Amino acid sequence: MGNEATARAAIEAGVQGVFSYPGTPSTEISEIFSTLSSFDVDAVDRTLHPQYVPYPVYFEYSVNEKVALEKAIAFSIGHKSALCCMKNVGMNVASDALMTVAYQKIYAPLVIIVCDDPGCHSSSNEQDSRHWGRMASVPLFNPAHPEDAYQMTKEAFLLSAEIQLPVIVRLTTRVSHTRSTVGYNGIQLNQKPGAFKRAPVQINIPARNADAHQQLVDKVHSEKFQRYFWNNNSLTSSSSSNLYGVISSGVSAVYLEEVLSRFKLQQRVATLKLGLIFPFPEKDVLLFLKQGFKYVLILEELEPVIEHQVRSVAQKNNLNLKIMGKGFSNLERTGEYSISIMTQVISDFMSLSLKEIKKPLQGLNDLVSNLPQRPPTLCVGCPHRATYYVLKLVIPRTDEGPLLCGDIGCIGLGALPPLKMLDTVNHMGMSIPMAQGLSEAIDHQHPNGVIAIVGDGTFFHSGIPALLNAVYTKANITVIIFDNRTIAMTGGQDHPGSAKHQGTHNVEIEGLVRGVGVESVSTVDPFNVKQMFSTLKEAISHQGVSVVVAQSPCIKIDSPLLPDRSQMKVVVDHNHCSTCFHHVDKTHPCSQLCTPSSGLARARAKIAAGIHLPAKDQSCPANICNHGFFNSILAGDYSTSLAIIRDNLLFARTCGDICHRPCEGDGVNKVPVKQLKKYVSSIEDNFNDFTALDKRIKETERQHHSVAIIGAGPAGLSAAYDLLLQGFSVTLYEKEQSAGGLLKFAIPDFRMDKGGYETEIQFLATHGVTFNFGHALGSEITLDGLLADYGAVILAIGLGRSLLLDQVEKALPRHHKYSAVDFLRQYNLGLIDLRAGSTLIIIGGGNSAIDAARTAKRIDQNNRVILSCLESREAMPAFDQEIAEALEEGVELITESEVNNIEAGDDQNFSLTLKNTLTGKTITTLNGHYLITAIGQSGDPDSLTGNHGITVDKEGRLPGDPSSELSYDHPSGNRAGALFVAGDIASGNHMSLIGAIGSGKKAAIGVRRALQGYQYEYEADEPLQALNSRQSHGMDSTHALKWEEQSPDQWSGDISRFDLYQPCERCNHCIDNFGCPSLVKVNGKVQIDQGTCTACGFCIDVCPNNAIKWAEATADISPVALS
Amino acid sequence: MSRDIKVMVTGVGGQGVIYLVDLLVSAATRSGIRVSTSEVHGLSQRGGSVNAGVTFGENTFGFVDQGEADYLIGLEFLEAQRHLSYLHSLSYAVIDNTRILPFSVSSEASTYPDTPELLAFLEEQIARVILIEDQLEEVNPLHRHLFVLGKATTLEGFPLTSHAIEKAIEEITRPALQEQNITLFRQGCGTDAGIKRQRAQGGQGDQTARSIV
Repeated sequence: MGNEATARAAIEAGVQGVFSYPGTPSTEISEIFSTLSSFDVDAVDRTLHPQYVPYPVYFEYSVNEKVALEKAIAFSIGHKSALCCMKNVGMNVASDALMTVAYQKIYAPLVIIVCDDPGCHSSSNEQDSRHWGRMASVPLFNPAHPEDAYQMTKEAFLLSAEIQLPVIVRLTTRVSHTRSTVGYNGIQLNQKPGAFKRAPVQINIPARNADAHQQLVDKVHSEKFQRYFWNNNSLTSSSSSNLYGVISSGVSAVYLEEVLSRFKLQQRVATLKLGLIFPFPEKDVLLFLKQGFKYVLILEELEPVIEHQVRSVAQKNNLNLKIMGKGFSNLERTGEYSISIMTQVISDFMSLSLKEIKKPLQGLNDLVSNLPQRPPTLCVGCPHRATYYVLKLVIPRTDEGPLLCGDIGCIGLGALPPLKMLDTVNHMGMSIPMAQGLSEAIDHQHPNGVIAIVGDGTFFHSGIPALLNAVYTKANITVIIFDNRTIAMTGGQDHPGSAKHQGTHNVEIEGLVRGVGVESVSTVDPFNVKQMFSTLKEAISHQGVSVVVAQSPCIKIDSPLLPDRSQMKVVVDHNHCSTCFHHVDKTHPCSQLCTPSSGLARARAKIAAGIHLPAKDQSCPANICNHGFFNSILAGDYSTSLAIIRDNLLFARTCGDICHRPCEGDGVNKVPVKQLKKYVSSIEDNFNDFTALDKRIKETERQHHSVAIIGAGPAGLSAAYDLLLQGFSVTLYEKEQSAGGLLKFAIPDFRMDKGGYETEIQFLATHGVTFNFGHALGSEITLDGLLADYGAVILAIGLGRSLLLDQVEKALPRHHKYSAVDFLRQYNLGLIDLRAGSTLIIIGGGNSAIDAARTAKRIDQNNRVILSCLESREAMPAFDQEIAEALEEGVELITESEVNNIEAGDDQNFSLTLKNTLTGKTITTLNGHYLITAIGQSGDPDSLTGNHGITVDKEGRLPGDPSSELSYDHPSGNRAGALFVAGDIASGNHMSLIGAIGSGKKAAIGVRRALQGYQYEYEADEPLQALNSRQSHGMDSTHALKWEEQSPDQWSGDISRFDLYQPCERCNHCIDNFGCPSLVKVNGKVQIDQGTCTACGFCIDVCPNNAIKWAEATADISPVALS
Repeated sequence: MSRDIKVMVTGVGGQGVIYLVDLLVSAATRSGIRVSTSEVHGLSQRGGSVNAGVTFGENTFGFVDQGEADYLIGLEFLEAQRHLSYLHSLSYAVIDNTRILPFSVSSEASTYPDTPELLAFLEEQIARVILIEDQLEEVNPLHRHLFVLGKATTLEGFPLTSHAIEKAIEEITRPALQEQNITLFRQGCGTDAGIKRQRAQGGQGDQTARSIV
């Protein structure tokens, strides 16, 4: 290989010290010397290798190219032969030393190898480093192939010794990495001792410089170069008349030779190949040009360095010829040349039509366009991926989030998808300066700061002065040093922070950072997700300079695998990967999106939250996916959040207003589902956007059967909704003149948004549900009739009758008394007309009593409202929050009391005595104007008379589970429609909004079973049943009020402390946001490619479905076995 | 030999493209054939696309340009397809049906190419194509390079003998791996005695990486 040939040449030339910094395409050169310097001489078997010559050479990978060259210069001033090698941009770092050493003297040869990268395969730019020759006035060789590299490097050492100047050998990728056969010579040990001789020339001061400069100019124009021109430039001549001459240098000469040979044009073209190009061989070029060509072509990649010199020679000597260079044919200043480019150029130059001998393939385009890209990516098991991932969890990648200033090296790969965690990458070392500069420039607009991301190698190379500057100028930045204990991208070389070679000393980064003045610094293992998360969070919010060292060895040089993990492997459990918690009824996919941000929200909750709740701990009796709903809110996607509710529940806003929130338990450490539901449905754009539902209904296959529902209260309406979404044709029969049931008539409007409820109900009407108002069961319609006409009938007529107290009924005339439901109904219709400042006494401890009490207060603040109930405060059936609000509003509460005596007074009032239920003692006597009885409801038996075989219990309710068919004797004995019951009329139904909704949904399941062959039970039956067993007082009022007081942006910070988790089907998170190459998605499930997996186990922390696990390495877990 | 033979080796970083090139160079030198190569190192280790050109013969310039590869040794399917334009009408290709899914395919942003489509195209347009679908138990799917090289030696006019390559394996491979490498190479040489086409059997549109099929 070209690089190997170069190293060999240096050894044969007697090099004694090699100083380098790794950089593609030069790295192989320094690696040879690195191997040499750590070679165990004594281990060599001399009988096997008789030619072995121990060759001690001093070698170091210096901290950067500047120090490398400086040390190399020092070596040669100390009389020892030195070599310094680097990549193209490394020369820029070292250039300060180069520019001034030329003004002084070196005492042993110093050769500098610089490797350019035309085509920019792995560099920050494709600069043309040949300019350094002229810039610094030092000789520069430009080899074309490995043999040249060998030859010219040897010549360079000779030349450098002769003129006592450094000499540059400039390679390119296609020379460095080309292999061909090179003959080499013997090695002789160079044992010249080092020394230092004092002399004025060793001291560089301005006074000496004018002379020194002139001496330098004279030096590079010396006749001594002639021999070297002769040795390193070569001519071929043509036999025919000298029309065409070509001057070339570098790999272009190789392509030229190949093309001329292929098309047999050698005899027609004279060529001059230049190897030593600074000083420029003017005499030789002039001699060549004077052969009388008509056309001269200059071939060199990148800049027209030689071309300009040739033109200058031609002009100075008044030569009349056409010179073609950059811009002619397809000769560009950018990129590499190739055989095909060369063929075209020669064609154009010589006006020939050179065709390819080999016939190219036709019609390729379809097969090669749009192929998936394969950019380089962080390796499997790379700790940087872990650090980037955790950073992704910590900071939002939005316009308001921090800016990420990256650097070159493996960390630069973090810019690519799926990580996409960099905003800037420039040249090596720019991360920290960019961060502090940008922070200064835009700080007032970007309060969330700027973060610099730099690798450990780059940090030692050029990060320290930049960090010092940040401390010195009081910058406000965070620096994350991605410390993988090596210079990774170039193949794993050491640096001071990971000194492993003999003769090197390790310098710990953290101590260094403190020494530079940074007070906030910590070292963390990237694979410890939680610790890295909290450390990064703290560092980013810190004011001033903070540093986090994310430290774990590069997977290519060392594995951090703990010993007991080596017998384990990582596997994906397909029962959890992209699997929905709801295991039934896949007729419609849920509305959860599968996007990187939704996955990220769930994954962030897994790591960042303090409270982890399995979603079944907050199950909804209406079967809403609370998990999907909550995580959409975490992801900031409020419209999807509402859509997820509406997958199962139409009454989002209504529940958001008045649900008694059984899913929230005592409200401590549970997600405030109701408040969030209220919030997302309060966003008018969301609320009024039914397009997803429209689409779903349109796409649903229509069912043949039709269903009748008697009663358009929340239970009946919920059943109608579910059946509509399944494609049934639904007709609602309602005795009132509008739909809504008790919710509409008996809940006061200050408790819920009646307009919203109406809109929600209207959805049904506009999507094909038929409403027949003024149709009461028992008169206008009968069960017999309906069951004959419909495939199924759901009885959801509710409890229409208010229970009354005999005492009250007997004692008071009509205008003094109300039932609670009546009172509220009249209030809602605007028909209440009370005396101003009256006293209202309410008997009852349930929700209706409270509603009536609060309504009474609202009618007139001066009304005195007293509520008397049998129960103690704790045992009152009303919801705790409601009671608290009533008391706050001035309602007086007398618990454990019952009516002892009532006496009607004059027309205006009555007196009522209350006694203690336990002791019987009189509590008080009240003078009231109105009395409201709120002791409960019962079914109206009249509506069910004449309906065969239906038994009603003593409360007027029907027994049976809503999803089970009620047995019914149809008069004709024929098989008729199936009968179901839902809502308050069903015994066992919990008397709450969500209870009614769940009941209606359950009845719909029953219908589907009967008519559609639906196989499954109602999925939310458990939380629905649990409504009865709980105290169901609802959330402790203090917590409820706390959530309601805050505004959404206040509680959005707060809700991030919750993780409501369960497996989710809409998940592509590990692929979208983490992207380890071993994670592969096949047929909707992720698999781990065991062939490439390094078992670091990090993906276990990544998966928000908890689908990735450890398993015994020997376990046979094929994808089939898992599912 | 009278004319140069150019070989292109393609694959994904980590599959051993450079090792194969080392072998070819060593075997050629050992056989007295002049050889040169042109490779691009650097980022190749990081799972990116890798290719290298090897030229055998008097004209010792390693660069293999578009339409110049007489032989294609493709260690991975997508990469082989990506380098189609390097072939000409008289080329030979041996392609391993190992599929290493790049991220863009896992994230469903693009689709992995279809086997039958490429095969049909090559069968029509070039001299000969072999698609390797052998399942090799106990062989790491990323280290099938020697098997593929073995198959390549069965192609007409391949510039190296299997004997020379075996010697090269001995020379450049570390002792611990020598035996298994030679075994694998011999398997590749031997199991395809005649030169025959092998069509894709199933596996169409199958997007799995080898180890998990």
